[in-house]
Amino acid sequence: MAVVSDVIPRIQSGGLQSLEAEARALRLEIVSAFFACGGGHYGGALSVLDIVLALYRTTLRVAPMCPDHPDRDRFILSKGHSAMALYAVLRRLGYFDEPLSRYGRIDSALEGHPDMTVLPGIDFSTGSLGQGLSVGLGMAMALKGTDRHVWVILGDGECQEGQVWESAMLAARLNTNRLHAVIDCNGYQEWGWTQQPGAPPPVPLLREKWEAFGWNTMYVDGHDYGALSTTFRTALAARQPTVILAKTIKGRGFPLIEQDPVRFHCTTVDEGEQAILLGLPK
Amino acid sequence: MRLGDHCGILLSEIAQTDPRVWVLDADLADSDGAVHFARAHPDRFIMAGASEQCMVSMAAGLSSCGARPWVFSFASFLCYRAYDQIRVCISQAKQPVTLVGSHSGGCGGRNGKTHLALNDIALMASLPGIDVWAPASPGDVVFAIRAVLNNSHPAYIRLPRLPLDALPGNPSECRWLKPKSMINLVSAGLGTHLAIGALARLEALNGLRPGLLHCLRVWPLPAEVLDLLAEGRKIVVIEDHYTFGGLASLIENSISTNVLPIGWPQSWPGKAGAEEAILTSQGLALEQIANSILQFSGVLKESTPK
Repeated sequence: MAVVSDVIPRIQSGGLQSLEAEARALRLEIVSAFFACGGGHYGGALSVLDIVLALYRTTLRVAPMCPDHPDRDRFILSKGHSAMALYAVLRRLGYFDEPLSRYGRIDSALEGHPDMTVLPGIDFSTGSLGQGLSVGLGMAMALKGTDRHVWVILGDGECQEGQVWESAMLAARLNTNRLHAVIDCNGYQEWGWTQQPGAPPPVPLLREKWEAFGWNTMYVDGHDYGALSTTFRTALAARQPTVILAKTIKGRGFPLIEQDPVRFHCTTVDEGEQAILLGLPK
Repeated sequence: MRLGDHCGILLSEIAQTDPRVWVLDADLADSDGAVHFARAHPDRFIMAGASEQCMVSMAAGLSSCGARPWVFSFASFLCYRAYDQIRVCISQAKQPVTLVGSHSGGCGGRNGKTHLALNDIALMASLPGIDVWAPASPGDVVFAIRAVLNNSHPAYIRLPRLPLDALPGNPSECRWLKPKSMINLVSAGLGTHLAIGALARLEALNGLRPGLLHCLRVWPLPAEVLDLLAEGRKIVVIEDHYTFGGLASLIENSISTNVLPIGWPQSWPGKAGAEEAILTSQGLALEQIANSILQFSGVLKESTPK
């Protein structure tokens, strides 16, 4: 691959307060879209939203007006069921105009899971868990010798997939410091072991496992924009592949959803609940 | 030399002038032919270790950045262990990745049944958009590699473990090794060498001289095979694959018979949506099915002998 020049600037954000306000607006867009289209993966979309927005607004060098620019950084949402969060951010950045309420319709590019063949801004299709980190590793190898970076967001439940650990092992051996993973550690998966009181998280000792596989590891509050941007900067300077374990809350931003993360993994709400989510008077 | 060796050597030569070419291997390079590329181009060779799933998805990541990756392993481990990765990262994502499955078919030497790939054509041909090649000679390998690099289709090249000798004539997607007759053998890969041997026996036994059509590209079916079908000639298929799901099945599936298949078209509908909308978009709404049956009934009436 040819060495490319650093031609793409980072997207400018208006500072941390602006990002928090933008996230609040996007959260309302997301729950409104889910209500309009008949439901979806509330919990994971809302837990990962701040990570996605922080990445695009503070770290990624991408060009929304030229989504396939060869010199761009790459981003993969390996936990593809949280597509609505990515769609909300990409739409806000100007990648496309299609209303989020058209999510999951047959005549919409807003597929149930991100599809690179139909929607601008999707660097790779996902939906079958566990594959995104391997794809990102391939991208990092293709982009070696350039100043481009590859970011992959995984779910903590997704880390149960064996392929994730094949990729982790190989990335450390290949020492691709252009590859960065962020794990949305919301502590839940679709159903898992939540029926057992005090059950451990989807993958216990997650940090120790990544360290044992040779990765540089960091913790961060996945809803703190200042901490996220600082951690991302640190990862960019690392000399080995870095994984950021981002502690998040499933359904972040809506007490109704946060209090019932199992139901809200993927569900629908009625009009009364929608009014509560939007903060409307009863 | 095995055909895999020929493949690895030619890719090494091509890579000298084509910087897009990468090779990945899952710890079988010395058996599947990737070793030649590993030695010639270590900077574009990735030893993935025994991790076929990671390797296939990695190749798709490479190709999404403009590379032309070639993924080597034994056919069995490539097609079976990494099938979901091939489905999602290559077929659905339409990535120009080439899978090179060595040790395909039923002659696995001492390896035994875990190492055999006897339904790999069925698996690969049933994934939309993947071309399937079954070389039977070193010349075939050269033709297939150049053809694959000249387009951007995902591809699967199945190679036998046994070294195969040259075949007569100039390699092409499909060629007659014995002139067309009323009875014709159609074959691919190791099956073509079995067919040549069987033809010699036939001639010695009773002078019968069927035609022999060798299919280097198994899927999509070459035009010559479809011509044979249109001409109504008898076909005997010889292949290094289960008789179900391989070349014979693909040919039978293309014959217009008194069976009307109604199901999903061979593409990724690729759409979320309401069931009725999805079914309608693919011709599977109840009214569409009824109309198809009516049309088919009319065809049957017209073609029924009086």
